[in-house]
Amino acid sequence: MAARGGALLKYLRVKVQTMPTTRNPNNNGVVGLSFNSIRRRFSEEVRGTFLDKSEVTDRVVNVVKNFQKVDPSKGCDWKLKVKWVTPNAHFQNDLGLDSLDSVEMVMALEEEFQFEIPDNEADKINSISLAIDFISSHPQAK
Amino acid sequence: MFPFIQKMLSFQRSFSVSPFPILPLQLPSPMETHLWFVVPDEFKSVSLLNQYMELLSPCEKENVLSMRGEQLQKQALLARTLVRTTIARYQINNRVVDPRSLKFKRNVHGKPELEWESDGGQCPSPLHFNISHTSSLIACGVTVNSSIGIDIEEKQRKIKNNILAFARRYFSLHEVEHLSAISDPEVQRQEFVKLWTLKEAYVKALGRGFSAAPFKTFTICIKNGFRRGFDHANDLESGAPEVVVESSDHPERLTNNWQFGLFELVSSHYAAVCMEKDKTSDAGMSVPIRLTVRKTIPFVEDECISGTDAVVPIAGLIEQF
Repeated sequence: MAARGGALLKYLRVKVQTMPTTRNPNNNGVVGLSFNSIRRRFSEEVRGTFLDKSEVTDRVVNVVKNFQKVDPSKGCDWKLKVKWVTPNAHFQNDLGLDSLDSVEMVMALEEEFQFEIPDNEADKINSISLAIDFISSHPQAK
Repeated sequence: MFPFIQKMLSFQRSFSVSPFPILPLQLPSPMETHLWFVVPDEFKSVSLLNQYMELLSPCEKENVLSMRGEQLQKQALLARTLVRTTIARYQINNRVVDPRSLKFKRNVHGKPELEWESDGGQCPSPLHFNISHTSSLIACGVTVNSSIGIDIEEKQRKIKNNILAFARRYFSLHEVEHLSAISDPEVQRQEFVKLWTLKEAYVKALGRGFSAAPFKTFTICIKNGFRRGFDHANDLESGAPEVVVESSDHPERLTNNWQFGLFELVSSHYAAVCMEKDKTSDAGMSVPIRLTVRKTIPFVEDECISGTDAVVPIAGLIEQF
């Protein structure tokens, strides 16, 4: 969590410009910036650095489908496997991936989205929806 | 619904059978590992699979049924059956154990363990186990008073990524160097698979999850063995390559309390076993892992294959029984 916050701060560029001030007759003329206007500006910047969730969904599903196809040792099962690649698919229970497959899958996702997924986070990504959530909320994903 | 499940549900109502008695066994002694395995393809009888389903807890049954497709369901069923029937073989305090009665829990890090009730209430189980699956073979290793981790992989396992790219991303520097130095791609691939199984077995033995011991933070090295004078006929592999693990991040961290064995299983798989060294033996002295390997079809037949060419040691001190 802390790492993500740090990464977020590094990535954001908040534009500084003079804003309409509110004069509060009670605070001896100290100028205050409207909190809401700052917050609006902030969230616009923030939204701009994250990938759109539906785009992430399509790309993740695609990576997994391509991954499932390359499986000569497992015979003709791959067609079924590709059929079961849906945004809700669980790596182990639906797609039959073992630990080595799962690690390879994470690597394929890293290549697709051009960023490194830390080992302690990768450990928790055991379904397509978790992969989508993680990638969509990571500003470094491209 | 799949035909297998349909038949099974209709059987469950009218079918009740007392399990073929499993012959009781002596508990493994220190530094002893018993490895039991099943070959899923050998299980075709619906009635037998039904019997197995009867052994599972409601939660385990639900989990089996939540798997997608007959193959995955069968594998999940066989895995739980293997664990339950294997542990039930070991008579504790001269009591025959019903595989159905076994209770399992997870440790704080998620590693499955046997729940153990002694007369004085709950205490840690002396029996430790670890399981590994591939679609073609499922294995369960059992030890006493020693943490165990096992991993099985098909010898022919090919990875989708380039081996060195994968190693650079996940393995330690020394391991990458070792793999890079191998010019023959097939030998390189084999060494990769062996290294993977050893690393997995280690992390599973530690029992703290993949993220607690990321693969990059430790190095496993297979050193060419050199043992002077120990040449017991039949048993010890004199000059067997030694397997050592070292922490890359924390070189001072204790790692020589773990012992490894790597072997070829039924010509088709690599199997790695990692267990805690016996605390009573001299520190620094490596005592061989006493290994017994048995293939099983629970309730039908058991076959001891250690000491045959179905078990071929590759590295680590292994004595077969």
